[in-house]
Amino acid sequence: MTRVGAVVAALAVATLIAARPWESVPIQPLAFSHKVHAGEYEIPCLYCHVHAGRSAIAGIPSVDRCMGCHAIMKADKAEVKKIREYWDRQEPIPWIKIYDQPDFVHFSHKRHVLKGIACKTCHGAVETMDRVQKAVVLDMDRCVACHMEKKANIDCLTCHR
Amino acid sequence: MLMSQQINRRDFLKVLGVGGAATALVSCAAEPPETLIPYLIPPEEIIPGVATWYATVCRECPAGCGMLVRTREGRAVKVEGNPSHPVNRGRLCARGQASLQGLYNPDRVRQPLLRGDSGQFQSISWEEAEGLLVERLADLRRQGKAEGIACVSPLLGGSLDHLIGTWLAALGSKRRLTYEAFAYEPLRAANRIAFGRAVIPSYDIEAAELLLSFGADFLETWISPVAYTGAFATMRAYRDGRVGTSIYVGPRLSLTAANADEWVRIKPGTELFLAFGLIHVILKERLAPSIPQKEVQQLKALVKAYDPEAVAAVTEVPAGKVFRLARMFARARPGLAIGGGVAAASRNATATLVAINLLNYVTGNVGRTVRFGPNANLAKLATYRDMLSLVKAMDKGEVQALLLYGVNPLFTLPEAVGFRAALKKIPWVVSFAPFMDETTAEANLILPDHTPLESWGDYSPWDGVHGLMQPVMQPVFKTKAVGDLLLSVAKRVDERMAKEFPWPTFYEYVRDRWQELHRRLAPMKEFEAFWEEALRSGGIWKKARATPVRLSPEAFEMAFEPPELDGGVADAFHLLPFPSLLHYDGRGANRPWLQELPDPVTEIVWDSWLEIHPEAAKRMGIGEGDVIAVTSPHGALELPAHLHDGLHLDAVAIPIGQGHWAYGRYAEGRGANPLALLSPIPEATSGGLAWSATKVTLRKTGRRHPLVTVGGSSQQFGRGIAQAVSLAEMMELAKVGEGAGREAHRPKQIYPPHDHPEHRWGMAIDLNACVGCNACVAACYAENNIPVVGKERVAEGRIMSWIRIERYVEAQQLNRTDIRFLPMLCQHCDAAPCESVCPVYATYHTPEGLNAQVYNRCVGVRYCNNNCPYKVRRFNWFQYQWPEPLNWQLNPDVTVRTVGVMEKCTFCVQRIREAEDRAKDEGRAVREGEVTPACAQACPARAIVFGDLKDPRSDVSRLSRDPRRYQVLEQLNTQPAITYLKKIRQALE
Repeated sequence: MTRVGAVVAALAVATLIAARPWESVPIQPLAFSHKVHAGEYEIPCLYCHVHAGRSAIAGIPSVDRCMGCHAIMKADKAEVKKIREYWDRQEPIPWIKIYDQPDFVHFSHKRHVLKGIACKTCHGAVETMDRVQKAVVLDMDRCVACHMEKKANIDCLTCHR
Repeated sequence: MLMSQQINRRDFLKVLGVGGAATALVSCAAEPPETLIPYLIPPEEIIPGVATWYATVCRECPAGCGMLVRTREGRAVKVEGNPSHPVNRGRLCARGQASLQGLYNPDRVRQPLLRGDSGQFQSISWEEAEGLLVERLADLRRQGKAEGIACVSPLLGGSLDHLIGTWLAALGSKRRLTYEAFAYEPLRAANRIAFGRAVIPSYDIEAAELLLSFGADFLETWISPVAYTGAFATMRAYRDGRVGTSIYVGPRLSLTAANADEWVRIKPGTELFLAFGLIHVILKERLAPSIPQKEVQQLKALVKAYDPEAVAAVTEVPAGKVFRLARMFARARPGLAIGGGVAAASRNATATLVAINLLNYVTGNVGRTVRFGPNANLAKLATYRDMLSLVKAMDKGEVQALLLYGVNPLFTLPEAVGFRAALKKIPWVVSFAPFMDETTAEANLILPDHTPLESWGDYSPWDGVHGLMQPVMQPVFKTKAVGDLLLSVAKRVDERMAKEFPWPTFYEYVRDRWQELHRRLAPMKEFEAFWEEALRSGGIWKKARATPVRLSPEAFEMAFEPPELDGGVADAFHLLPFPSLLHYDGRGANRPWLQELPDPVTEIVWDSWLEIHPEAAKRMGIGEGDVIAVTSPHGALELPAHLHDGLHLDAVAIPIGQGHWAYGRYAEGRGANPLALLSPIPEATSGGLAWSATKVTLRKTGRRHPLVTVGGSSQQFGRGIAQAVSLAEMMELAKVGEGAGREAHRPKQIYPPHDHPEHRWGMAIDLNACVGCNACVAACYAENNIPVVGKERVAEGRIMSWIRIERYVEAQQLNRTDIRFLPMLCQHCDAAPCESVCPVYATYHTPEGLNAQVYNRCVGVRYCNNNCPYKVRRFNWFQYQWPEPLNWQLNPDVTVRTVGVMEKCTFCVQRIREAEDRAKDEGRAVREGEVTPACAQACPARAIVFGDLKDPRSDVSRLSRDPRRYQVLEQLNTQPAITYLKKIRQALE
């Protein structure tokens, strides 16, 4: 192999390592499965993500919401034991955010939920996922397209302030 | 290795290509993921993303305004005035806004500190700290030395005051002192002497037709500035062919003087004789209403020698003016004379204020605009003389333990008092201060209190007004409420004290005290309902009845003499220290907003200075920025000179509040403290500190220290930016009425008008109300995450304030003062010059009439600011930082801008969106008055009005048709959404 070829190959490998493709589905602190909870048990989204219908922020379930069931249910399973451990340590579970928008985007869950837009429209078929991954790319293009279709406000200040 | 070989072009391009792609991919993929942190148990009253409001009381000064605090996710992010509170009625000053920077100050004491043998402070636990305090106090009790325990606190006016008092008494000590740097002793004494009541009455500024202020800076720090600013604005409003008139008598052009219709420059300390001169003329010309003949004779005898010529000789106020003032004041129905500032800080302060009382009495104002009954609790303070007694006791070794709470005597007492040396004689000094200040730095043990926003409590500034304080969030640091601490210590000192103080925490104590209030004021209600209501509305208020007073014969037994001055050598100047609107007595200096806000009169930031008249400066060869050594018989300091026309030639002035050496990073090493130079001798009659009784000599040091101002010219150069009309013109305009012919002059528009389907937001700013206090600027900083840039950046013109107060000096001569304050912010022009020049369309006009700035589109070309004629756009030249925990104050509804983007006023679009959001939830339209930007919300003078211009009945629409209306730089045809209302000027001569 030529010297140049070696350099090119090295750069390519380095890029691949840096891009971390195996991490495109982030690993959460404990293996919560939406497939089990939302799919099998059909728990409604708003049971855990309580604020979606009344605030800009949808909210992540508090540890006591998990403990509400898991103090007793499936308490022998390894992953469920982890919830109890967090609870006993009085430490919140540090979930990794999948659907994140930049700080200059002010999105309101309330407005969209109250309009009857299903959660899976933007978050994908979460009830089929064991580990949540970004099923839908939420770029501005997508937002504007839907806004134009539904005749919602497309003024910049609606989201950017 | 590679470079030593010859590399051919193709290989080079391959490497470059892959390397470039690699860099791009790596930088795109390498962002760390954000985490979502849930609650463990969510608090019931918090919905993340929705604000929760709490009512409490502002404790930044003794005025005690009611406050509503907006919290997000358990963090206080904005404070506003409480509309129900009778003192401020929903408005708040700049200091009130900056209370958040007290709460989140990075230099707060975060846990108890104990001074070790090395002299350094070490952190200790609360257990240990409390234990030490209990041990010390119990020891003193056992040894029978409990009277050696002294406690000094500021005016606490409520439960905490009562607790400290009873607690100290139970310990066995009577050494309790309530100390404030500004305690209005001469005013209290003057009221005792003239009317037999040592109180501070209510002054009805709103009702006065002529307000004559002898040095009282009621728009800045005097007694209750937010309330008085509101009253002042109402007084000046045009009603039935008249406006209220205000005249300021004093040696220095303060902010209050700048807003008066006339500034009467007087020789400092001679205000007494002017007051007598006015009484002389009023009695001689029989302009006084019916007061008993006996009193008329007594008064005539008293003021016999003070005919206008004699008065002119002493005061340097022309005799003609004395005649004119007297006649105007007597004719006013009603008038009001108030005294403060320099007039209340000379050695003849009490005599001066008695004379002013007599002036009010003679013209029948007592009982009308001066009402005894609803009195200020400021009168309950100890005097400066009491403080001196304590220092003497300290010196003699009589004080075994000194407990300091919320006071900084090492800074606020004159150095010559010898507080520092006396402090060293005390074996055990304990401070409960939340901040490390000068006095706390000398303590042995620091047990840091919560800041007021984290505390339970109550505060009563006036009779009948009981404000209730509640914590708006969990404590930021490991501090402990003083009330809780005292109760806990009481339980551990000994059995007897434990029995006397059974309340587990201060919260229960406050509730118990309010049981008493409940019995007195609302016995029909259930206590719990009463308590809930008080928490929700911020307190309970019951109008205190005014009681009549009679003139006391003691008034005639006073000695009315010219003031004695210390340090009167040749070429000495009369030193006028003045309390600063921003720093008060120095307590505001550690809040960065208050440092960055310009002094309203001089526009200087981040400094203090020596004001000197340009003529005097010329005589001494002093230029602007020259460092001058200022020496009094009691001390010396150095300050840069600032040439200020608004000063008596024999006087120099220094603002109080800077010159800290141990008060945090923002306050330390700035300016100098004029209080250090003063004579320690109290004013004889009242026992107050005569802080305007010292003369100083000046000497050039040869060094220079340029002062930084916020820039901009003080001259209008005929541009008609801040416009005014005379009273006569106003009456003409009023006849013509609303909407008077301006449309006719509208030039032809090239572009079609904007379409506003729903709302069109606009603003009206009344220059007749604006006093230039900068409350709006502070509120904007708090609401919109505006960074503080520091002195050097301000010097470069890079201050980031979205709204600024422009100060134009139209005239500043002996007979005519015309200073105009104009709030300038983004005008949201219909034909905005900035919109058409942005190459990336980051700024555009929204369908609701706003000029929008989209931060993420902006690439930093800065052509928009170049084109803006109002120069209201601000560029982020740097990535500004908020040191922890100041960043807790950031408003989550407003984007924090990064380096390289433009920003400017958005008419608080986040508040507009919030109101529209709420209206949509409730299925209705946005109501008039529902949207209030931060600046409009804060203004104590109610000068700024915001609303929907599409609604013809809204306040803003009405004001945009007002006869006084105009727009700034109208001739440029930018078609702003902001209408200004011209100031009404009266030519009084």
